[in-house]
Amino acid sequence: MEPLVELVDIHKAFGGVRAVEGVNLTLYPGEVVALLGHNGAGKSTLMKMLAGAYPIDSGETRIGGQKVQIRTPAEAQSHGIETIYQTLALADNLDSVANLFLGREKLTPWRTLDDHFMEVQARQVFQRLNKNFTNIRTPVRRLSGGQRQVVAISRAIYFNARILVMDEPCAALGPEETRMVGNLVRQLKAEGVGIFLISHDMPDVFELSDRLAVMKNGKLVGTYRTADVTEDEVLGMIILGKQPVGKTQAFAPV
Amino acid sequence: MQGRDGRQGARRLQVIPLLQQLRHAAVDWRLVLMGLVLAVMSVVFHAMSGGIFLSPENLYNIAQQTAVVGIVSTVMVLVIVARHIDLSVGSTMGFVGVLIAYLQYTAGWSWQASCLAGLAVALLVSVYQGGLTAVLGVPSFVVTLGGLMSFRGAAFLVADGKTQPVSDDFFVNLGGGYDGAIGVGASWVLGGLLGAALVVRMLLRRRAKQRHGMALQPLWVDGLLAGLTIALLLGFVAVMSAYRISSKTEAQGIPVPVLIWGVVAGTLSFIVHRTRFGRYVFAMGGNPDAAALVGIPVRRVTLMLFALLGVLITVAAIVSVARLNAGTNSLGSGMELYVIAAAVIGGTALSGGSGSILGSVLGALIMQSLDSGMLLLDVPIGKRMVIIGQVLIVAVVFDVLYRRYVQES
Repeated sequence: MEPLVELVDIHKAFGGVRAVEGVNLTLYPGEVVALLGHNGAGKSTLMKMLAGAYPIDSGETRIGGQKVQIRTPAEAQSHGIETIYQTLALADNLDSVANLFLGREKLTPWRTLDDHFMEVQARQVFQRLNKNFTNIRTPVRRLSGGQRQVVAISRAIYFNARILVMDEPCAALGPEETRMVGNLVRQLKAEGVGIFLISHDMPDVFELSDRLAVMKNGKLVGTYRTADVTEDEVLGMIILGKQPVGKTQAFAPV
Repeated sequence: MQGRDGRQGARRLQVIPLLQQLRHAAVDWRLVLMGLVLAVMSVVFHAMSGGIFLSPENLYNIAQQTAVVGIVSTVMVLVIVARHIDLSVGSTMGFVGVLIAYLQYTAGWSWQASCLAGLAVALLVSVYQGGLTAVLGVPSFVVTLGGLMSFRGAAFLVADGKTQPVSDDFFVNLGGGYDGAIGVGASWVLGGLLGAALVVRMLLRRRAKQRHGMALQPLWVDGLLAGLTIALLLGFVAVMSAYRISSKTEAQGIPVPVLIWGVVAGTLSFIVHRTRFGRYVFAMGGNPDAAALVGIPVRRVTLMLFALLGVLITVAAIVSVARLNAGTNSLGSGMELYVIAAAVIGGTALSGGSGSILGSVLGALIMQSLDSGMLLLDVPIGKRMVIIGQVLIVAVVFDVLYRRYVQES
């Protein structure tokens, strides 16, 4: 099977700080790769480069075997890469429908916004994620944390992501909504979507991911099959940057 | 007893949905409140001025005098919504206005060529300032503060400080004045057409909603809203058509500057509600980081916004020069304050992300009515300035409290 995403020897520095240094990472279709590490370990920076929010200093990105340059978020979207940011990246003053389509509005033949079309489509996507979500015309600042999350996630699934980056998707959610996100991850996985999951929550990581990669101080500590390592070994990698003894790294699923 | 209470309860229940329907109707209650403020203010001035304030002549003059500030305010709303500001609008208008007058009077150009040249210069100025803001990230406050001084100087340099009179009949009528109104017949035709357009738009929108299987608000709510808007519109036409300059046989009708202002406000409302550009401006104001992350071309939108500002500054400059029959180097001095104040009184949040074009229209009218009303009552200039300044503060305090009440911040 061909990898969906290959990140090869990626470097990124902000001023003198080396945020990401020589990282290699792959993602296969239908696979969930968890990305772990302390705050400032470089996981979010790495993912933002994949999403086109930061330019890459050096290194190569391949999507479906093709070498690509991702310079803007719009270019990332055109490769099927969708990102759910920890901050959710919502315009608080606009309603859910406007946020779902933000940057990719559906236009009428007269180049005006096709509000009716967008509202009907939005209603369907939101319904799929949360049956009780009906106040879709109020500004998102007045929505609950779970509803805001639904809007952010909808953005990824409505536009048929092939590659999904989820940055702490459950950080602000209650138990029921967390379960909803878990089910969604399994469903997308079954559809062949590749998912990078940034999370601090060990139970989530062990329940959802196929492989896990740990970063420390901008460098990759190691990549392992989730089933091969224990929680303690993972913590050892995160805190001490130490590879577990006697475990082989895994650069592809199975 | 219990039975009667029950019946009363039931009757009350029938009333509540009615009120709720009104509350949920697509009405901006804040704008309604501002309309009420304007109405109350007018009635009070009318009583205190011994019946002069609400006379057709006074209302005609207020509408005409507000147009220049009103035109620039509509776009200032968008600039502030996008978390920018332009302090140089008055100076730029002065610069462009003098240039347009100079090209006609001293250089002997036609008014059309002069206006196009003015537009080109206004675009250059706006894109220069917008470019420093959008591309280099210099705060627009600083860039345009420099512009406030520079372009006032440029206005002086164009004609070496000399007043430049203009005399082309058509051009002068763009500023209103003696022959600067469209006449009674045309005013009623225009009012009628606009009214019909409002009804058609309401029906089309209902049909589109029905086709997409979306909930409709009751016909009477839509009808009432359209009816009230049309009544206001026709009332305005009636007042403008009731004013006759004593040396003329025909009444005036809608003044040209007000017509231009109306077209500008309508166009900008359309841009805000129906185009991608308008939505991006609001998204950038609501959350600049999110706007960039979802792939909105933030720089391009900012540049386009400043270019739009340049276009409307030119329009305002033309109206203003035509109204004074001359371009002077002090044209538009201090106007930036009135323009920004009109936008803020009209409910535009200086923190960005929120504001409305119709609000700026009402805001400009409130400011001008206050000024004219106090003038009618012989309030001296010092007191007028003190009062108008404090009214601006009241508007901002109200804005803060209102937003807290509806949990906007």
